[in-house]
Parts: sequence; structure tokens; C-alpha cells
Amino acid sequence: MSDSDRLSHDVQRYLDGEQVGRLDAGERAQADSLLAAIETYAARLERPGSELDSAVMRAVRARSAPTPRGSLWQWLLQPRVVSVRPALAAAAAVALLVVGALGVSLRQRPASVGPAAQAETILVRFELRAPDAEQVTLAGSFNDWSPEGIELVRSLDTGLWTGTVPLSPGEHEYLFVIDGTRWIPDPSAHAQVDDGFGAANSVIVVGPRGVVRS
Amino acid sequence: MTCITLIHLDPAADDFTLVATGVLTMAALPFGSQGGLLIESAKLSDGKLVRRILAGEADLYRILVERYRREFGRYAAAMLSGDSDDAADALQEAFIRAFDSLASCKDPDKFKAWLFRIVSNQCHNVRKRRRDYLSLDRVEDPAHNPADQDLERKEIGAAVGDALDKLSAEQREAFVMKHVDGRSYAEMAELMGVGEDALKMRVHRAREELKKHLKGLL
Repeated sequence: MSDSDRLSHDVQRYLDGEQVGRLDAGERAQADSLLAAIETYAARLERPGSELDSAVMRAVRARSAPTPRGSLWQWLLQPRVVSVRPALAAAAAVALLVVGALGVSLRQRPASVGPAAQAETILVRFELRAPDAEQVTLAGSFNDWSPEGIELVRSLDTGLWTGTVPLSPGEHEYLFVIDGTRWIPDPSAHAQVDDGFGAANSVIVVGPRGVVRS
Repeated sequence: MTCITLIHLDPAADDFTLVATGVLTMAALPFGSQGGLLIESAKLSDGKLVRRILAGEADLYRILVERYRREFGRYAAAMLSGDSDDAADALQEAFIRAFDSLASCKDPDKFKAWLFRIVSNQCHNVRKRRRDYLSLDRVEDPAHNPADQDLERKEIGAAVGDALDKLSAEQREAFVMKHVDGRSYAEMAELMGVGEDALKMRVHRAREELKKHLKGLL
């Protein structure tokens, strides 16, 4: 960027709405023309109208009401998706294969092991150390970034939150959600990508043969 | 005696229908009944509304939808290249997702920041989807705003939109929140979870980029 594209410190402060002692006429004109251009643009933006409220409420009425969190037993019974920590994934995948093979040979059953989708998922364990958190959930591209999708379980002794999630092969982005409001990337992930909004998402790659990289 | 305006909600209708206004005693109010909603509720804080919705008054969610459709509407439009249809889609999806996840909003008093994150992610997803199969040409339909006959203003508005599309995502978001929504840095920091100094830097850089793109017009 050339010097002529730069805005002086005082002009920036003026545009920030701060009190600026004195701007020369050229700077003032520069700042005001920029503000006028922005206002022109903003005035052309259309907010969605009230029909959106009705559409949302129609969808909401068709759903079950949200309820406060239930018991641990309810949580255990509830089907859910999970988040990532690759460290133990390969071991989990191998264990799964061994158990599956044993089960098939002992019961001498034909190959109806389950839906094809199950065979294409890899169990991945996610961990986050957050001793002060009251709740940690996992949100990511694998659950449409729903912050309530996957709740991790806390070890009382260590403050380590863990959860094991079946993931399909491919690349997944994810974040941990602390106490329902604070979204943070996985500090142990090897890859972070720009989320497009100034923060970073953690990335995990699940390979087609159960190999997981992050 | 408390003066309260009463609105009757017809569950079969899409919209609430105002059937009566008047002065009622608290004892006469259909508090908690499925068919009634108090306009007084519209003044309730986010936290109180969220708690009541979680307690079963799902229709109160409409107040939050209206509140934040207004507040985040222009943000969504600006983040999605001025396309009001995309903005409506993104907001609608975000509101439904937020309703489904409401129980995970740990601090209902911070519902706004919690919702903003969902809206922000949804806008990002829509933009990403569009990028996969469309160029991000801003919608520039002359019939879209027939009242605008001022070619110069139109040109400037379009140039700002084009320039915003060329900014990095983080600069665009900070710039939109500052200049389109008119928020303070403190409020932006609270919503976005980013420090004020970092946000200032993003806005300052965005302005310089904008100035560069608009060089021939300003």
C-alpha cells in the first residue's frame, strides 16, 4: 500500500468518533467523503423484513421446545455427534476393528454388521483441559456448528474434558464451546484455519483407512 | 393495578393479532397460557426471555427473533454482498439453529453474544457455499431500488460493496460492525470476543483498503 493510500492517525481517530483537536481542510474532506460513501452504501442495504419472524416461528412451532439439560442418564441415552482429538483415534479404530472381527467370528453371523455409514466412520477422541469450565461442548462442520451437539465429559480430578465422536473420512473444522458462550480452538490441534471472521477454527483430517491427522 | 397491553395470539395464524388493549389486573392475565402473550414481554431482557422459553413459553422466542432480526439484519446483508435474500436465509437458519440449541446457552444474559456467533458462522457458511459455485458479484439490479435515480450515488454504493468483498473476512466483519451497524469498539469486542485494539487495527486497515479501491470516486 502506497503512502497516498494511508490515512493519518488523526483521520483514523476522527473516523473512530474520537475527539480530534484539529484536522486540516484536506484531511477533513478526505474523512468526510469516505464517511459519505459508506453511508451511501449502508443506506442501500435491506434488512430482512418481518416475514422472516413468521417463517422462523412456523419452524419453531413444528419442533419440540428446547428444555434445560437433562440428567446424565438422559445424556448417555441421547444420540449425538462428537468432536476431535486425533491422538487415540488410530488406536480406537484398530480396537473397533478387532472387536468387530471377534464379534463376527464368535457369533458366526453373516455380514449384517450395521448400516454402511457406521463402517465409514472413525471414532475420534477429543480432549480439552478446562478445569474452570462448567460445561464444554464440541461444535464443528460435522454437526453444522451446533453448540449443543456434542457434550464432553469432565474428569473431576484433572479438569480434562473428553468425548469420542464418530467422524466420516475427510476434513473437519471444529471449536470447543466453553459454558455455552466462549468458542475456542483446540490448543493441541496441529492445524488451524481462518474461520473467515477473524478467529481460527481447528482442523482435523480423518483418512479413509482410519488414519487421523490434525 | 398494573397497566398492561394485551395481545392475543392465535396459534393457527402466522402473526400475532392485536385484539384488545386495556387495563387489567395481574390476576386477570393469562400468564403462561398458550394463547396469550403480553406485550410487556417485549420489554423483558434477553436473559428473562430465554429462561421463560426454556420453561416452555416457546412463543416468546418471536420477541428475540424480531429484536435480533432488526439488530443483525444489516450486518448479514453487508456480510453477504448486499444480497437481502441470502441475508434472510442466513438469519432464518441461524435463528432456528439457536432455538434448537437454546438449552446450551449457559448464560442467558449473554444471549446476544451467543446468538451473534451463530449468525456470524451462518453468514460465513452461506458465503462459503456461494463461493463454491458462484462469483461473489454483488446483486446490482437496477429495478431493485427503483427510487434511486442518482447514478453517482449508485456508483459509489456499488464501489463500496465491491471494495468490501475484496477485504479479508476479518477486516470486512470489523468494518461492517463499526460503520454499517455503528457499534462502539467495546460492544464489538463483547460480541466478537476479540480485543478492542485488534478490532481498531482491522477497521483502520479496512478503511485504507477502501480508500485505495475508491480512489477514482472520492
